[in-house]
Amino acid sequence: MIDIKKEIQKDRRAFIKNVLGGTIAGSLLLVIPAGAALDSKLPEQLPGMRGDDSVFTEKKFVFIVDVTACIGCGSCCVADKNEYNVPDGNYRTWVERYIIDDHDEVFVDSPNGGLDGYTEPRTDIPFPVRDTFFVPKLCNMCEKPSCVQVCPVGATYKTEDGFILIDKDRCVGCGYCIQACPYSVRYLNPLTRTADKCTWCYHRVRKGLLPACVNVCPVHARKFGDLNDKTSEVYRLLREPHVISVLKPGMGNKPALHYLGLRREVV
Amino acid sequence: MDKEYKSHYYSHVVRIAFFLVIGGVLAVVARGLFLPDTMGQYGHYRGSNIEEQKNVEVRNHTNESCYECHRPIRLIHKAGVHQTVSCEFCHGPYADHIQDGKYVEKLPVKRDMEIKALCLRCHNKVIRARPEDSIKMVAMPQHLEEKKVQTDHNCNQCHMVHDPLLWIKAAREMMGLPMKEDKK
Amino acid sequence: MSVAAHGDTAAAVANYIFPNDLHVHWSLMIVLYPYITGIVAGAFIVSSLYHVFHIKELKPISRFSLLFALAFLICATWPLLNHLGHPERAMSMMLTPNPTSAMAGFGYIYSAYMIVLLLEILFLYRPTVVALKEQASGFMRTVYGILSVGSDNVSEKALKLDHKIISFLAAIGIPMACVLHGYVGFIFGGIKANPLWATPLMPLIFLLSACVSGIAGIILAYTLIMKFTGQPLDVNCIRTCVKFLWGFFILDFVFEMLELFSHFYMATHHWHTLETLYSGPLYVSFWVLQVGVFSVIPFFVLMALSLINWNDKVIAFFAPLVSVMILCQVLLMRWNVVVGGQLMSKSERGATTFHPQWLEKEGILPAIIIMVAPLVILWILGKVLPFWQKDDPAAQQVG
Repeated sequence: MIDIKKEIQKDRRAFIKNVLGGTIAGSLLLVIPAGAALDSKLPEQLPGMRGDDSVFTEKKFVFIVDVTACIGCGSCCVADKNEYNVPDGNYRTWVERYIIDDHDEVFVDSPNGGLDGYTEPRTDIPFPVRDTFFVPKLCNMCEKPSCVQVCPVGATYKTEDGFILIDKDRCVGCGYCIQACPYSVRYLNPLTRTADKCTWCYHRVRKGLLPACVNVCPVHARKFGDLNDKTSEVYRLLREPHVISVLKPGMGNKPALHYLGLRREVV
Repeated sequence: MDKEYKSHYYSHVVRIAFFLVIGGVLAVVARGLFLPDTMGQYGHYRGSNIEEQKNVEVRNHTNESCYECHRPIRLIHKAGVHQTVSCEFCHGPYADHIQDGKYVEKLPVKRDMEIKALCLRCHNKVIRARPEDSIKMVAMPQHLEEKKVQTDHNCNQCHMVHDPLLWIKAAREMMGLPMKEDKK
Repeated sequence: MSVAAHGDTAAAVANYIFPNDLHVHWSLMIVLYPYITGIVAGAFIVSSLYHVFHIKELKPISRFSLLFALAFLICATWPLLNHLGHPERAMSMMLTPNPTSAMAGFGYIYSAYMIVLLLEILFLYRPTVVALKEQASGFMRTVYGILSVGSDNVSEKALKLDHKIISFLAAIGIPMACVLHGYVGFIFGGIKANPLWATPLMPLIFLLSACVSGIAGIILAYTLIMKFTGQPLDVNCIRTCVKFLWGFFILDFVFEMLELFSHFYMATHHWHTLETLYSGPLYVSFWVLQVGVFSVIPFFVLMALSLINWNDKVIAFFAPLVSVMILCQVLLMRWNVVVGGQLMSKSERGATTFHPQWLEKEGILPAIIIMVAPLVILWILGKVLPFWQKDDPAAQQVG
């Protein structure tokens, strides 16, 4: 124990020394050019994805959000905004705060989509609070996606491995998919003037990386994996007797986004 | 009617039919010309878009990418209770810092009360909706009063941001105080 | 409320709106689109009442209503093109129409309808055009030459052939007009995610309101043109129009109310979201204006005009007046469906507000320009093809 601590202490001192050695010199010291093949240095978070150059993978990806674990920090929202430079006021993912008082009244809010975290308590709850929780939202990756059904030009489509993507070079920007999505995960990107939405970080997944939001979640409330892999956490969770549901099941869209510990109040 | 006409009684119908057919043929030709190459390759969409989607830039990396260079902080961050906190959450995306393996720009380091704001995004007790067992919650400024420090103290005056208990544990050790049991 | 204002929208009903739902994506342009296609379909049906169902009283306006329909049909795509994020890609709808998309059919349905309408006008006006060509010179002679498709044959045999073709076109034109507008209703009615839109009655309501707006548009345009050109009004024709208007309006209004009442009576959770909408943001535009002022009053005025044998002056005064009200009713209905449906967030917990601006891309000024454009086009059409039989040099030859 003491040995480890000393090691750390030593490293801390070294670190501070480096920084104090001058900002520029410090940065140069700290930043060693990593070489071209940087991707290979990234950990392979999703097994079997590296080097898979096939058009469609053989995997069946599901996303599970653990409502009971989310602390509403908004790391996921920050990562998402950084990953895609999402224009302000539009949200590929967001976190909702649910407060249920003891008169069954439900209060929901999501200031700036949770991007800035929840810095203020709600002061407008008239009765004692019975339960509070956070619900992260993102693309549901429906098995029967309404957006793909209504897109007039085939700009949004479903890949054979279940991702719903948008071809921004073909989208006409009519907004029909935005109307059709029961979950309001779509927005019209004001920069490209095309529809845009969460892709479950298709580009990261194909490189063996977890979606940006899953990668940053400090409490592991967002889980992503392959259902065909019997050793995966998502497979285990869906096999075990947990309370797992999807949003708006009555819509018949059959989302691949599942919620662990979802309460009926969540829409 | 005895008047002689230059045209047949059906000539305009024939001409209109002819124009309609020509229009139809032109439409078919235009479709062939303008149809995107890989349209319909796998379904009713442009097949080549899948490759484009794969090549979208990865802007957030993993903590491991940061540790590649920032070795000293790696030891601290990975050993502490903040090991699951993403570097990029506080410092910004990797791609703003490194492009093609080359240094581009310094990422911001949070200072002063920015640090407190970041801490309170997760640790603020007044926001009631928290699974309290997975994370230590504090109420401000009660926490500072309880610990008998100035109420304008910043979090990082006691807590090393990369491992919040590092200095606390060191101080306790120095003072010969017993270690608190970690919650997890 | 924590949700910040976004452009011209803001949270109206408290509680929660999905962050992407604050913005109303389909605004004035998409209100105008079904409005304009509705007028087209309605005007065409007026013409068909004479050409197919031989309602003789409607003869004076049978050709005018076709040109009226054409003028509006030309402009029907304008609000859509103005709305699209990428209007330059609009042809993709025809190039790669998605078979499962309700919207993808528009290009084809529109084009087919345009062809039928143009052909019907060409055949109908051919004897007129041939006669006009004889009188014209220079540029207009070339125009009439093109319009006559290079034929001067107006023999009995040729006209008989034309008549057969016209009857055929008018006959297939009726189902096509119904498809055009019923289909526009389906674009909304097929969106299950929106509780205000998702009803099988939507195409029917759209269709009936289309007939209503078309007939009202024709009555208004006919009486105004006659008044300002100092020509005598065929009051008998107006009387017949008013009766048809009343008939279609009964159906239209009853179905609109039935649709709402069914939702109210079944009271599924859909109704609970609609309830807040109708009692909140839509209270004035729906209950007060669309239902109260512009449905109930015209309903009784039309009833009185249809059932009581008024003198010509009363008809000539009240018919255009009630037509204006009906046109307002239909415009309000389009507004309440298109914009109203989007006000309710899919969170089912809150509604946003929407106030159109004057000068934005899809604002009030562009909307006015698009609504005036068909009238300008109609005026130009009137310079080339006479609206009325008495201005027609070939009137005697036309059956």
